Amino acid sequence: MSLLKVNNLKKYFKEVKAVNGITFDVKKGEVFGLLGPNGAGKSTTISMISTLFNPTSGEITYNGESIVEKPKAIQQKLGVVPQEIALYPTLSGLENLKFWGHAYGLRGSELNKRIEDISQVIGIKDRLKDKIEKYSGGMKRRINIGAALLHKPDLLIMDEPTVGIDPQSRNHILDTVLKLNEEGMTIIYTSHYMEEVEYLCSRISIMDMGEIIASGTQEELVDIIKGQKKINIKLDHVDDTLISIIKTIEYVEKVETHENEMILTTQNGENIFKDLISKTAETESNILSIDIKKPNLEAVFLHLTGKALRD
Amino acid sequence: MRVFNIIFKDLKVLLTDKKTLGLLIIMPIILTTILGAALGGTFSSDSDKRAIKIAVVKEYDFAYEKDKFMEFPNNNFLFQNMNQEQLKGLETYMENFSGEFNPEEMFFDGFLDNNDMKKMLQYQVLDLEKAKELLRNNEISSIVILPEDFIYNMYVNFFPLPYRNELDIKIINNPDNYIHSQIIEGIMNSFAETSDISIIGKVTYFETGIDEGIDMMTLSNSEEIIQSFYTIIEEAKVQIEEENVDKQKPLSSIEYYAVAMTAMFILFAAGEGAYLLLEEKDNLTYARMTVAGIPKSLIAIGKYFTIFSFTLMQILVMILYSTLVLGVDWGDKWLVALITLCTTFSIAGLGTMLASMCYKSGNYKMANAFSSILIFLLALIGGSYIPIEVLPKFMHNLSNFIPNGAALKAYNSVMLGDNIIQILPFLLSLIGMGVVFTIIAVYILNTEGGIKNVKYNSAKT
Repeated sequence: MSLLKVNNLKKYFKEVKAVNGITFDVKKGEVFGLLGPNGAGKSTTISMISTLFNPTSGEITYNGESIVEKPKAIQQKLGVVPQEIALYPTLSGLENLKFWGHAYGLRGSELNKRIEDISQVIGIKDRLKDKIEKYSGGMKRRINIGAALLHKPDLLIMDEPTVGIDPQSRNHILDTVLKLNEEGMTIIYTSHYMEEVEYLCSRISIMDMGEIIASGTQEELVDIIKGQKKINIKLDHVDDTLISIIKTIEYVEKVETHENEMILTTQNGENIFKDLISKTAETESNILSIDIKKPNLEAVFLHLTGKALRD
Repeated sequence: MRVFNIIFKDLKVLLTDKKTLGLLIIMPIILTTILGAALGGTFSSDSDKRAIKIAVVKEYDFAYEKDKFMEFPNNNFLFQNMNQEQLKGLETYMENFSGEFNPEEMFFDGFLDNNDMKKMLQYQVLDLEKAKELLRNNEISSIVILPEDFIYNMYVNFFPLPYRNELDIKIINNPDNYIHSQIIEGIMNSFAETSDISIIGKVTYFETGIDEGIDMMTLSNSEEIIQSFYTIIEEAKVQIEEENVDKQKPLSSIEYYAVAMTAMFILFAAGEGAYLLLEEKDNLTYARMTVAGIPKSLIAIGKYFTIFSFTLMQILVMILYSTLVLGVDWGDKWLVALITLCTTFSIAGLGTMLASMCYKSGNYKMANAFSSILIFLLALIGGSYIPIEVLPKFMHNLSNFIPNGAALKAYNSVMLGDNIIQILPFLLSLIGMGVVFTIIAVYILNTEGGIKNVKYNSAKT
């Protein structure tokens, strides 16, 4: 059952088509991923869903009700974790949580109980009385998430919540997302980190240049490049002779070089090893290592756009 | 409730910022204390040492002018029809009058040596040359010249006959001490004006009597009436001593600067308020509040009342500190409360207007310009650095139409004992400014793009 539906959504800023006719739906209880590089239009999409600004055209419905016409229909059921830290740095974590709890209408013992629960979830209970400006980047991110959870939202939108933080905090945040989802919360997770989306999301839409270029489960997306494999070969040196010879091998579709490394795009890559080794032996180059990469979302994105996610 | 939540949070943010707290609360306290102490001599009337020094020059000849007064009936047509007996009676009456009434005693003993006046003025009787020398050396603030015929005119004015001569007291001021000069002029004018009350009463009595055909000697010899004139004269003296002298009492420097610094530093509250909306937007908390369903108008109202509350807090702190620690008497507490409310209303409007301008423009240039340049200009015009009276007349008038200037004048007025009618123009000015500023703020925030289209990161698409 779809909780949120986005239909032919557009947002233009003068000449810039930030979002250009995207359509997707988010099912109740899932973690839905929006994957794309910086500038793909993910945050603009999130801002429209969050009721922050109106679309140029298109429709967004929450439980069947248009949020453009009735923003209140979603505001109290929505939690938004912005990419940037949206907190008051000179106030303590506790004061921030209290303010945002009040903003969502929580009061007294109910609010205190929620703050206690949330501080447990985000793992920051011991530092709640410290000022936000004294926190590390990871701790600020956790409070940033906590502030969006106080009112027990049905739908949580997380916009690149792990940008610029240490691995430990990142892992904690990813685990928190899974835990919240297990408890029944529907989550929209945007990121340009392919691994995070792969780890968390059951369904994914890949965005680029304001458009959704592919959607589906992880398996469905990988199927787009079914059979295609990437082989990284490290050599003692790479020259034009070697490249010309490798290109003659059957199933090799593309050869890229980077210093003493060759990246081959192949179909049925397992079958080329014999030829690869024998052909290389004919040249003056020696193979140091071979690494076969399985198809992933990065590869899908590369396949669809011709550029890497982090370009 | 949400608006209180926003106000409470904003006040916490302001109060937890040590720099802001230092600028808005601590700085005015320190400056008031320092300026009040350092410039004590300029304003204070607290001790003899700080009393205004003047010289009094007598250009009259007392004995000659007293004799001249005694000759008065001989040179006046009103007395030409009197018989010898009547003239003898008048002469005896004038001798008695001139024996009992001494204009010098009235001016020096009754007026300048009055206990209240002595706290303000220290005088010495000198000849004109010596007085001018002291004035040039800044040893005195003014020279008061009692001119030729001063004694004669005083006798004529106070003698129970229908005559009134102009009392012409001349003052030579020290241009380097404008404030003291103004005070001396005020004091001397009050002496002349108060004397006029009884003199006009006397003249009116005689003119009415003569019009009714009553014989002038009968009028002059009426014991009851004459006694009443002495009473009028006595009352006039009391008026000089108490009402007029107090009325012109200058504010002490501590009193003046307690108000002046308060009036100046509340402008900084408006300046700080100017940052509130755009900072909220830049911190992305504005967007977060919008997502939480807080109406944008409520956020703006929250800012308005944050500035209002902070300004109110500032003024209360200054009033409490200056009253309890520096001993400043702010005057009638209800009038002070009324001025405070009108002032905070005006400042909150100003701060919100600036905040809306910053928000609309998307940068802090307006707030920065206000805090770094405009405040100091407004403080100068409003009398926070030097007393308003010293400023050119157009600036003096202009100060009525800036919040700090109107507030300063209103507070000073109440300190001097003025009532609500006298401070009403300042209150109306403050309210008017508050209304205009608020209307401009609402207009700006309601214009397209003013408070709409908030997003979490304006740099992103």
